[in-house]
Amino acid sequence: MKEELFASGRHIPHIDPYLNIWHWPIALYLFLGGLAAGILFFAGYFVVKGKEKEMPATVKWATIIAPLALVIGLSALFYDLHHKLYFWRLYTTIRLSSPMSWGAWTLMVITPLSFVWVASYMKEMFPKWDWKLEILNKFERWVIKNRVPFAWIMMILSIILGVYTGILLSAFNARPLWNTSILGPLFLTSGLSTGLAAIMWISKSEQERKVISRIDLILILVELFLIIHLFMGFLAGTAVKQEAAALFLGGEFTVTFWVFVVILGLAFPATLEALELRGYHVPKWLPPFLILFGGLAFRFIMVEAGQITRFLY
Amino acid sequence: MDTNHNRPHYINPYLGGVLLGLLVLLTVYITGRGLGASGAVKSTVVTTAKIITPAKAEHNAYMKKFISPDHSPMYNWLIFESLGIFFGGLLSGILFGRVKKFRIEKSPKITNKTRLLAALAGGILFGIGSQFGRGCTSGAALSGSATFAFGGVLVMLAIFGTGYILAWFFRKLWI
Repeated sequence: MKEELFASGRHIPHIDPYLNIWHWPIALYLFLGGLAAGILFFAGYFVVKGKEKEMPATVKWATIIAPLALVIGLSALFYDLHHKLYFWRLYTTIRLSSPMSWGAWTLMVITPLSFVWVASYMKEMFPKWDWKLEILNKFERWVIKNRVPFAWIMMILSIILGVYTGILLSAFNARPLWNTSILGPLFLTSGLSTGLAAIMWISKSEQERKVISRIDLILILVELFLIIHLFMGFLAGTAVKQEAAALFLGGEFTVTFWVFVVILGLAFPATLEALELRGYHVPKWLPPFLILFGGLAFRFIMVEAGQITRFLY
Repeated sequence: MDTNHNRPHYINPYLGGVLLGLLVLLTVYITGRGLGASGAVKSTVVTTAKIITPAKAEHNAYMKKFISPDHSPMYNWLIFESLGIFFGGLLSGILFGRVKKFRIEKSPKITNKTRLLAALAGGILFGIGSQFGRGCTSGAALSGSATFAFGGVLVMLAIFGTGYILAWFFRKLWI
């Protein structure tokens, strides 16, 4: 048996004073989870609104990304687990006070749902598609008939998924940067925005891109507002919160955060989208690429920086 | 829709010059130093060398000056300034209708390959020259002469004077 003796409670390797346990798989998972949530939310939204025909990329084509993103994200999460064989224990209980429990159960439902959603459009997307088994054809007909209720469930679950990617971090009350109620809405907004970016990239219809672009512009503004609010909250808080904010306001994450996330990931693509809406010729891939890159950088920075923040002693 | 912004137009060169001068003043005011671009290329070269052949890069008399255990050579203000130049240039291109499909600007009489090879050769020569001259057009000539440095004026004369003399020989790459 391997024993470890701690003489002081404040020096535990990999945990205190700095947490050093969450690396790229977590950041990648948070990004892909948010991305899938964004795509599925808008697919559901436009079906509920009855605009299926006008928004083909949103409702059909882009949703192919969602199950892939979820599977890759969950694989990253599984790869990060220390005791991989015990992951199923999350499913032996439902704990309303635990974000991880919420996330585990939401993913348990939304992942197969995302597969079913894409499968129900397979014949529309690829006319030669054949399910071979009658039972599958029957199931498909049932799903298509009940698409609106499915869309509602998907919208609700994707909001929970999107918020949970942020709440997962904010529930860590020992890490001042994460322990703020803004993180949930901020991650949700960012996830919805990256979802829209992926749709925008795929869409071939000028009209659809315009609709998506308009919604995305609003989301980016909300995101910028939440980021400002986050820092205002930190600066008006206790010394530990101010120290956490200092990492981004002159500290070691200042340049990476403001350059890659705020300027290149939010402000610049928003400017480009606004110009595109006014008729200027903008390379089609550029705003979505920047938004996706900014979203990924945002998660990497938040995961990394959060682990450095700590209580003073 | 107003189609005017789809027609490419360029800034008046005299106005552009004045704006560039004001930009140098603003940069000195904000950062305490002038503009520069060749340093970003240098950082990229050092970083690439450090990744591919770390031992050689660390023993190279020139490169080792820029390698530190604390941070990457890419964590340098010039890199971020160059990102700004790229994205700022792109924004200006979009606003003035110069961004269309991906294309290589050249004389119709030569092939893309010739143009790209000539550009690469020119870039390499300019890179070597900027290291001999301790800076490029923006770093040595523009920022240097803005401080009344004699070296800066010499670099300016060398770059534009040589360009003026040699342009005739290479005109076929453009017209």
